[in-house]
Amino acid sequence: MLSIENLIHVYPGGVRALDNVSLEIGQGMFGLLGPNGAGKSTLMRDIATLQTPTSGSIRFDGIDVVRDPEKLRRVLGYLPQDFGVYPRVSAYDMLDHMAVLKGFGKAGERRTVVEALLNQTNLWNVRKKAIAGFSGGMRQRFGIAQALIGKPSLLIVDEPTAGLDPEERNRFLNLLSEVGESVVVILSTHIVEDVSELCSRMAIIANGRIVAAGKPAELTASLKGHIWKKIVPKTELDAYRAKYTVILSRLVGGQTMIHVAAQSDPGDGFAPVDAGLEDVYFATLDRNRRAA
Amino acid sequence: MFAKIARFEFRYQLSSPVFWVSFGIFFLLTFLAVVTPEIQIGSRGNTHVNAPFAIVEILQIFSVFAIFLMTAFVANVVVRDDDTGYGSIIRATPVTKFDYLFGRFAGAFVAGALAFASVPIAILIGTLMPWVDPMKVGAFHLNDYLYAYFVVAIPTLFLTGAIFFALATATRSMLATYVGVVAFLVLYFVMNALFSKPEFDHITGLLDPFALGAVQEATKYWTASDRNTLLVPLSGIMAENRAIWIGIAVVMLGVAFWLYRFQARASGTDRKTKDAAEAPRAASGPLPAPSFGAAATRTQFLRWTRFEMGQVFKSPAFFVLMALGALNSFGGLWYADHQADFTVYPVTHIMITTLFGAFAIIEFIVAIYYAGELVWRERDRRTHEMIDSTPVPDWVFVVPKIAAIALVLFSTFLIAVAVAIAVQTVKGYTQYELGHYLLWYILPETLSATLLAVLSIFVQALSPHKYVGWGVMALFLVATLTFNTIGFQDRLYLYNAMGQVPLSDMNGEGKFWIGRDWFAFYWSSCAVILAVLAYALWRRGSETRLAPRFRRLPHKLAGLPGVIVACAAVAMIGSGSFIFYNTHVLNEFRSTKGDDQFSADYEKALLKFQHVPQPRITDVTLDVSIYPHAPRVETVGIYKIMNRTGKPLAQMHIRWDRDLAMKSLAIDGAHLVKDYGAFHYRIYAFDTAMAPNETRLVHFDTVLQQKGFKNSGNTTRIVDNGTFVNNFEVTPGIGMDQSFGLLTDPVKRRRYGLPGELRPPKLEDDAARANNFIRHDSDWVNSDITVSTVADQIPIAPGYKVSETVADGRRTARFKSDSPILPFFSMQSAAYAVKHAKWHNVDIAIYYYPGHPYDVDRMIHALQAGFDVYTKAFGPYQFRQIRILEFPDYAGFAQSFANTIPYSESIGFIQDSKAVAKDPEKIDMVTYVTAHELGHQWWAHQVIGADMQGDTMLDETFAQYSAMLVMEHLYGPNQIRKFLKSELEQYLKARGGEEIEELPLERVENQGYIHYAKGAVIMYRLKDTVGEDVVDRSLRKLLAQYKFKPAPYPSSKDFIKILRHEAGPKYDALITDLFQKITIYDLKAVDAHYTTRADGKYDLALTVTAHKFYADGKGKETESPMNENVPIGAFLSKPGEKGFGDSKVIDYQRMAVHSGKQVIHLTLDKAPAFAGIDPYNEWIDRNSDDNILAASAG
Repeated sequence: MLSIENLIHVYPGGVRALDNVSLEIGQGMFGLLGPNGAGKSTLMRDIATLQTPTSGSIRFDGIDVVRDPEKLRRVLGYLPQDFGVYPRVSAYDMLDHMAVLKGFGKAGERRTVVEALLNQTNLWNVRKKAIAGFSGGMRQRFGIAQALIGKPSLLIVDEPTAGLDPEERNRFLNLLSEVGESVVVILSTHIVEDVSELCSRMAIIANGRIVAAGKPAELTASLKGHIWKKIVPKTELDAYRAKYTVILSRLVGGQTMIHVAAQSDPGDGFAPVDAGLEDVYFATLDRNRRAA
Repeated sequence: MFAKIARFEFRYQLSSPVFWVSFGIFFLLTFLAVVTPEIQIGSRGNTHVNAPFAIVEILQIFSVFAIFLMTAFVANVVVRDDDTGYGSIIRATPVTKFDYLFGRFAGAFVAGALAFASVPIAILIGTLMPWVDPMKVGAFHLNDYLYAYFVVAIPTLFLTGAIFFALATATRSMLATYVGVVAFLVLYFVMNALFSKPEFDHITGLLDPFALGAVQEATKYWTASDRNTLLVPLSGIMAENRAIWIGIAVVMLGVAFWLYRFQARASGTDRKTKDAAEAPRAASGPLPAPSFGAAATRTQFLRWTRFEMGQVFKSPAFFVLMALGALNSFGGLWYADHQADFTVYPVTHIMITTLFGAFAIIEFIVAIYYAGELVWRERDRRTHEMIDSTPVPDWVFVVPKIAAIALVLFSTFLIAVAVAIAVQTVKGYTQYELGHYLLWYILPETLSATLLAVLSIFVQALSPHKYVGWGVMALFLVATLTFNTIGFQDRLYLYNAMGQVPLSDMNGEGKFWIGRDWFAFYWSSCAVILAVLAYALWRRGSETRLAPRFRRLPHKLAGLPGVIVACAAVAMIGSGSFIFYNTHVLNEFRSTKGDDQFSADYEKALLKFQHVPQPRITDVTLDVSIYPHAPRVETVGIYKIMNRTGKPLAQMHIRWDRDLAMKSLAIDGAHLVKDYGAFHYRIYAFDTAMAPNETRLVHFDTVLQQKGFKNSGNTTRIVDNGTFVNNFEVTPGIGMDQSFGLLTDPVKRRRYGLPGELRPPKLEDDAARANNFIRHDSDWVNSDITVSTVADQIPIAPGYKVSETVADGRRTARFKSDSPILPFFSMQSAAYAVKHAKWHNVDIAIYYYPGHPYDVDRMIHALQAGFDVYTKAFGPYQFRQIRILEFPDYAGFAQSFANTIPYSESIGFIQDSKAVAKDPEKIDMVTYVTAHELGHQWWAHQVIGADMQGDTMLDETFAQYSAMLVMEHLYGPNQIRKFLKSELEQYLKARGGEEIEELPLERVENQGYIHYAKGAVIMYRLKDTVGEDVVDRSLRKLLAQYKFKPAPYPSSKDFIKILRHEAGPKYDALITDLFQKITIYDLKAVDAHYTTRADGKYDLALTVTAHKFYADGKGKETESPMNENVPIGAFLSKPGEKGFGDSKVIDYQRMAVHSGKQVIHLTLDKAPAFAGIDPYNEWIDRNSDDNILAASAG
């Protein structure tokens, strides 16, 4: 169980990246959804002991993460949002290297772990190639492989699907779901589908604050009957924006479909629609924007 | 388009850190060279720091280093787009290949040139600094800077830029380009070494891409006045050189254009690896779990260390640095055995001493560069978040980084030693001393460099950016140098300051290693603290702020790290206290600045006493006990003094060296009236005035010793093996004079408010003839010196040994003179081997270190030849013995005491005489110096000059003349050229660096380049013109008049008067030119043709030009009509070349030569191969290389 209380992170220069964040995260996949710059990575890094929050506490299974980062690192698996590689180092060597750093001192054990992970992440055939030459998907699979070394009880994956093609993204999410049952997994993303497909619980973060949290089903249920859709001419979009709370607009077959949030039927040709997680996300962000 | 691309490229380069870092580095180095006298780039002396010549010189030297700078800029242009993958985007635009390639080259070149502008800017700013001596700075001329920058530097930068632009285009690899740079430099230095002979000067001048050779050739014999006022002319060799190389640069750009392919390279397709299909081993059972015990941490540590090593050792930068290091050390080591004019065996201590100098910069760069690279590598590679979230303790990152740098440094030193051993082997010297290399060089240097690396890592751990860390370290180096110059020299606060151990074969590391090792321990303890702090403040993850790391500091220091810091602190305080006790309590702490202040105060307080009449010493009895291992010399002595002033004396002044402790001092019938304390100067009053010719006794008891070790300046005089002290170090003198303890550097004198020049009395000052050059408090004295030392060493002092006893582990020998000698004594002690020989009834003995038997017989031979020549030319030798004694390489001179010659191991005992014999450029220095020192037994120990202008002409110049006679006797007159040429070159090169004023020989003020170098040439021409009998007769007359006589002492005027009389009026003008004026000639052979005559003989027509100049003390020359008989020669082979000898001389005779161009006709028996004017370089010729020409038929 990971519990975060009143976490505040202010960067030098005064940017308040996290503003009094409190969260309880239990076993299973937890989705952290938010737009770019909302504070997702700051929160991830704070939890992953890569930086120290300005104030507040982070506890994981009795470990005070801020005071004893060394203890957390023993049970932590972390896939950074963006990571580089060393030149001329192969996937196998690098994973082996990471396994040493993660506490596999004995060569035999280490080989078992490394080979198992290479298999699991489907990198066995390219294990002797330099990671520098990997495609984005292969690189992310390598990233999750290293994060999984030593069966971490807290797994943090920061925007892992950004830039992956659909096939690679699927493959990656499947991999994640395999391990996500028995441990705490935090998946940060700005892609709603990642969360809706995988996560049993989630939170939405915006401007450094948690603006919604709960099970995806509960969150969508809370919007039931409040979302209306209509297909409108592109030229009138701005007019609709001015008149209604447009939370979503997308092109469908060359026409513009908008979702608006409203407590009751706005009329004007709008039809009710079942709220999806996307509606929850955008409605929450919209509410948050207006409040700000 | 071209302009746009160039502008873009220029702006891009300007915004890169490379630009600012290189600008900073070049600025800093130049600035330091200008403002600190300790760092010297190029020439100094009376040349202003901003003289047009000096600006050109500094810019040229930096343009060699700038080859790396230019390559970084222009090669980056080629490689960058491929590296970033941006190339394909740009190539898709409608840009022509020409615009693209040269637009970017132009932008990068201008950026590089702008970075290099830091050099002239730094000179300009440096000259404005208030602490730079105004006498060293000339007027500001913008033109001088522009000329040096645009005419000298820019073409060079353009050339190196173009060459390596072409190479980068061909190879598309930064590493390959840098390898090319290194190869280019190797080639450059090798070519320079191969063509180092003067006859290649013109060709190397043309082919030197940096134009160093061209400028050198064009300004070879410039005086200080020329250097301060003239621009290196852009004509002749200089213009040709610039034209050639600009042409080559343009060709190189053409090559680059031709090589450049304006399409993207096909990216390498993935090769299928064979093992791709290999199936993974199936994991059986559950996966193992990680463990976090000590064993796992140990594995992590070892793995990380190996990983760090791999990252470093496989990086291109490592190879470039190693290649540079090897190149740098090779350059020094290859010439380590080449002393100025002779060759020595490349013995280990000389190789190591060379490495100390050559390698220092590289090790700094390696330590500082790699600290930055390693500390920041995870972040630069963006693996830091992944790596830093693993359960690895911070020290596992920190310690391997230190270990990796230490190992890199270790390998640099190892490579240097490998190069040194290779050089020794190639030179045929196979007495490898691997242990000495390890203990004297590799280990101490690795430790010192590692301490620098630890500091650097600590700084990088705290820095917000790698470049900031590097900048801080650069400042640290600058501060270290600056602190030294402004008087902060205590090694207790200068991080990593340990002091260098002087090396010698005779005395090994002596006791010098003791202090060095204490400082090493002290600073190592400090480094341990820094390393732990670097760990405790380690930047982990994405944290850049310092505050959170400082907050965690106590937490991280808890436990073992804290214990380590505590232990290291205790070690540091403990060793620091012990060092302080040694350097401040046992010994007085001194700094250069403090010493200068002391000297200035000393002069202000005491120089006023220099003319106060004093009694003179007539008899000296000394009992000198040498304790080589203490090290200590105890001296008990008695002076018999006499009042020779003719008037009663009321007071007596007595002074002794600053390092000497006076335990007791008593003067018969006198009492102390004033004690100047630390100045070691006392004034005594006689109870009853000392009557004329009255004698009294002075008793004294002194100790010269060093307890423990000093901060710097540990004694090199009293050492375990090879003690050599003289009487001025261990006994007091009477009265004040200018002989020691005073500041001589005019810059420093002005700084301390003293008159700018400390000069001897003028030649016209007859009062000065009352004192001899050695000391004012005595004339010739009777000596009785007892020297004792440990039983296994031999004690020696001037005089005949009357007894020797061994008792209580000490050997005591007593030496007496049977007639008065100069009051100048050496006391030596070492474990010597001795070789005895005879010349008639004179005992010859060479006392040498048993490992140095090489040149002992040569010395004996030289002494015997010297006696043969001198007794015939000058008169009898006054002693029955002569001894030569080796002393360690802490100084490189030989010195003549009465019948005793201490002789440094480096100039007398390791000469490789076979190599010298093979090389026509080298001279037999052992014989030359031995003959010179033996000459002093006449010229100083029989006749000593008055202490005034011209005094050293009577000893040094005459000793040089004596040595020339011996060399002529041994090698024949036709081989004398190389001695004359060597001396002439020394004179001509040194005049430009004169600090005060060049004087004619008769007025020489202890100026080595005049009394040794010019003196030898002048005396030889005199002898060759007026005849040896005339010169020798004049010298004998001087001896007859002044030999062993007290005041008045002779001056150079006395000799010149005798000489004029002996030579007759027809040589009056010559004698004036040689001795009383600064006369410079310019003799040149222009053309040599011969025809065969009917009678089988040959008519030679030799066209020559001749000019004669008189120079003033600042080097300003005025031409004067010349009408002299000059030797003209015709030869079968070239004088000075291998194989030249008497049989190769067809004709050699003096013929009338006048100013200007003329044709000289000779009738010869054989067809000449070479002909020339003054072929043996007897004239002071400003260019002595153009005197001989190949003669051709027709």
